[in-house]
Amino acid sequence: MRRAILLTIAATLFAAAALAQEVAPVAPETVPQAETTLVDPTVGLAEWQTIHDVFAHPRCANCHVDDDHPRWSGAHYGETRFHAFNVQRGADGSGFGNPGMRCMTCHFESNSNVLHGPPGAPSWHLAPVEMAWFGKSSAEICAQIKDPERNGGRTLSEVAEHVRDDALVAWGWAPGPGRNPAPGSAEETFAAIERWSAAGAPCPID
Amino acid sequence: MASLGKITRRVFLIGAAAVTGGIAVGYYYYRRPYPNPLEGDLAEGEATFNPYVKIAEDNTITVIAPRAEMGQGISTTLAALVAEELDVPLEAVTVEHGPASYAYYNTEMLAEGGPFPFYDESIMAEIMRGAMGGVGKVLGLQGTGGSSSTRDGFDRMRQAGAAARQMLVSAAAKSLAVSERELTTGDGRITHGASGRSVSYGEVARSAADIAPPSRVVLKRPEDWKLLGKPQRRVDMLDKVTGAPIFGVDVVQPDMLFGTVRMSPRFWQKPTHADLSKAQAMPGVVKVVPIDTTYGSGFGVIAQNTWAAFKAAEAIEVEWGAADYPTDSAAMSARLTEALARPGGSSARDDGNVDTAFAGAPGERLVEATYEVPFLAHMCMEPMNATARLKDGVLDVWSPNQFPTMTRQLCADVAGVETENVRVHTTSLGGGFGRRGEMDYSMYAAALAREADGRPVKVTWTREEDTRHDTYRPAAAGRFRARLGADGLPQAVEMRIASPSVIAGILRRTFPSISPVGPDKSIVDGACNQPYTIPNYRVTGIEADLGVPVGFWRAVGNSFNGFFHECFMDEIAVAGGLDPIELRRRLMKDYPAALAVVEKVAEMSDWSAPSPEGTAKGFAFTLSFGSWVAEVVQVSQTEAGLRIDKVWIAADVGTALDPGIIEAQLVSGAIYGLSAAMSQEVTFADGKVEQSNFHDHDAMRIHQCPDFEVAILENYHKMGGAGEIGTPPAMPALANAIHALTGKRIRSLPLSKEVSFA
Amino acid sequence: MRLTVDGKQMEIDADPEMPLLWALRDLAGILGPKFGCGIAACGACTVLIDGSPVRSCVLPVGGVEGDVVTIEGLSRDGALSAVQQAWLDEQVAQCGYCQAGQIMSATALLDEIDNPTDEDIDNAMAGNLCRCGTYPKIRAAIKRAAALKLARA
Repeated sequence: MRRAILLTIAATLFAAAALAQEVAPVAPETVPQAETTLVDPTVGLAEWQTIHDVFAHPRCANCHVDDDHPRWSGAHYGETRFHAFNVQRGADGSGFGNPGMRCMTCHFESNSNVLHGPPGAPSWHLAPVEMAWFGKSSAEICAQIKDPERNGGRTLSEVAEHVRDDALVAWGWAPGPGRNPAPGSAEETFAAIERWSAAGAPCPID
Repeated sequence: MASLGKITRRVFLIGAAAVTGGIAVGYYYYRRPYPNPLEGDLAEGEATFNPYVKIAEDNTITVIAPRAEMGQGISTTLAALVAEELDVPLEAVTVEHGPASYAYYNTEMLAEGGPFPFYDESIMAEIMRGAMGGVGKVLGLQGTGGSSSTRDGFDRMRQAGAAARQMLVSAAAKSLAVSERELTTGDGRITHGASGRSVSYGEVARSAADIAPPSRVVLKRPEDWKLLGKPQRRVDMLDKVTGAPIFGVDVVQPDMLFGTVRMSPRFWQKPTHADLSKAQAMPGVVKVVPIDTTYGSGFGVIAQNTWAAFKAAEAIEVEWGAADYPTDSAAMSARLTEALARPGGSSARDDGNVDTAFAGAPGERLVEATYEVPFLAHMCMEPMNATARLKDGVLDVWSPNQFPTMTRQLCADVAGVETENVRVHTTSLGGGFGRRGEMDYSMYAAALAREADGRPVKVTWTREEDTRHDTYRPAAAGRFRARLGADGLPQAVEMRIASPSVIAGILRRTFPSISPVGPDKSIVDGACNQPYTIPNYRVTGIEADLGVPVGFWRAVGNSFNGFFHECFMDEIAVAGGLDPIELRRRLMKDYPAALAVVEKVAEMSDWSAPSPEGTAKGFAFTLSFGSWVAEVVQVSQTEAGLRIDKVWIAADVGTALDPGIIEAQLVSGAIYGLSAAMSQEVTFADGKVEQSNFHDHDAMRIHQCPDFEVAILENYHKMGGAGEIGTPPAMPALANAIHALTGKRIRSLPLSKEVSFA
Repeated sequence: MRLTVDGKQMEIDADPEMPLLWALRDLAGILGPKFGCGIAACGACTVLIDGSPVRSCVLPVGGVEGDVVTIEGLSRDGALSAVQQAWLDEQVAQCGYCQAGQIMSATALLDEIDNPTDEDIDNAMAGNLCRCGTYPKIRAAIKRAAALKLARA
């Protein structure tokens, strides 16, 4: 209970800065003990930072939301805000929108090449609510990525493959005209996850 | 001013007496100012009686409703006026807009352009109305605007129907060899009751049309109306639920090409360098041509389809001249502030002695505030477009427009042909709101037609082009002060309002050689002519050109002055410790029509009952376009932001010809105003408009739409307009509700800069 | 390329990148779907593809898989669909320009939800902009259409 409350406060504190935050220095003894303890946590944390910069990037985080409203952000949209037109996860929880207005009413297999046109990738939809991290701290996202309950039931290596192979995830690096892509590439992020995992998958503390 | 209250009842009685006796009126032919434009263009078997009525042998009855149908239902109401007197059901007539013609001049649109408030019926004010109306007639200005069409058409369209009916009856009497008095009309037939014989209108139409038109026609008494005063089914509704091709963008002509434009994003500037080769070489492109008009300069693309034209326009490599006006919103705002500080200006209202009244006022009795509103785009759902063909010296223009005769004139200039060789075909308008009172999109189509070797070109703008080349609702700023008496009522109110002149803007782009004469009323319209009695009351307009093209935007000056005036009245009420409606009761007591709508909306909204926790109501009133409108808006705080729960509207329109359409217009006008107040603004950087499409200049969506409750009153003795009147009070009522809920007095629009909406 | 639109097969010679809207309007002469924004922000161009609502102004014609139904294909043998009839009965339209898109979205909504609540309507229809402010009547018409569909079934 106490932990949950602290997380909520932390989430609030970090919400505004989530997209550009620094990872707090971490005490070695707090690094979660994963597959191996024989590695230097600073190496793993540097890898996590790379991963976090991708996951917390608006191209990824705007659709990993827990309040049913995908977000818009970027130079042409003002401050980060709710996707216009009352776009929602969908009353059925599917993440594909609502009857009468599905995500795929506007978002098709590929990006519209018109400025401000809808971006596209196969099977456009919101991430499941348990996988939401919009506005969360680096530590929270980190813990979440390692928790199969909240990462889609994946091992870290499956997470890495998902990041490398999923067409919707891949969109984050090729988001179409007028949008900043996520940093790096799918392949680089895949590699960073592998290295982070090998380094014991350490997480920062807030 | 105070004496005006007295006349209301008397004039009403006189009006009623005239009406009950049946009005005998001078009819079109009696003082026929222009030829009937239908005469030269009749189909086989068709006869025309006047510029508004055609009847064919097969009994097809066509009514010309020569005002732009942009959703306000005018084609239905004008047709109903004719059908009523012609004694046919509305379903029995076909309604057309008809050609551009001086015969369709609008006298009402300009009638209120003088410096007198609507309720001023002094001799001077009436002379001015007559003179301004005369201008419309002399100019043959066929226009739709100023919420004037039903007022303008009320007599003329009924006369047209009645005269045609009289002529048909005369012809039938002759053909049946009976007396006219023995004949009755109904359902498009003329019946001789005694013998049971009858003829259809179509059967006698041609002989009837040859009869000399009556110099006097007798109109039905209102109590005998079958159509007027009752909601009608709109004549265009079936087309609109089946996606019929009725709009400008739907025009199809044989051998038609497609096009678009790319005009300078900095107003009035020309290209300084351009490379058209890439655009020219794109697939489907026929030609890229320069455009240079009084509206602006740039390029047009003629192509095999609209998409190809869009892509090619994007591919034009061009640099534009530098702006010769303040280049960003901050600089424009500073210029408005400077203008406000300048002495002088034109005082359209100056009651008592304001300077004396403020002298030595103690600070605690003073209320002072500064307000500001931004430029706004119209954002009609149908982007600007027109189709034109120049062939054999004749220019045809198919255009969704509000001013056919001016469109004809300016397109003639562009195409280099005489005005009489231009035919303007007015389509349905996918939204107008004042934007389609401009000629630019028609002129650009004419310019492209010149280059198309006789083929028609349909020229459609992108939404981006539309947003960035509007004739904007002007930005405006106001400085207000009031001195309150011990009773909390204002002893003195001074309002100074600075804004670009709409009239000067229109002249610059339509008739640049004409300089505007005198102050522009639109700068103070909605502030200088409100039915409040305040002993010392001055409203001054200061013109401040900002270099941005400005034009008519639904309710024009009222759209910002309603906000200024009524938010400031709310501030006065709060400062004086008076309920806002109580304040109006005291200040409007000389104006029964105003008071009646205030009381009505108070009752409807249960104003005096305390609002539930987390909700609050705001009130505002604006007299505009001859109608008296009071609105109450209720807002509530939700987790997702502020919600507008409900809007109550009470409006006195004098005579409600179609209460269904009027109610729809009131709701429409309020939503248009609320949309602007919530989130709309047009801003500038580098001399260019920053917004481009609905992602950054959106409007209210269905999930934000409140419930509405509307009451239509008919107390006032003169008919008012309907199309714009819901807009002005909606914005201040919302802002006042937000103040009541949150304590936040927001003096600058849009409200979304200070609060967020769900 | 081959398209099926409103039950009719047609051959369209277009750049596959051309949005379906322009292929329908300029090449096939189907003018029911309207151009409003070109970025899927207003809904005026909405059509159904295999029953799902789609903004045709941004869908490349080369990417169309399935049967396209426009406003022109809703009426069968001259009889209005339940949604169109409800729109007529409620006298919804003002300028009417957005209404083809509104009717298509409402049709898609009612295909999935027989008796939509106000919230269902908000969720389905907020992508369809109306500048005339016909929303209260749209809401009423959708409810009327639901009842009419039930009565016709």
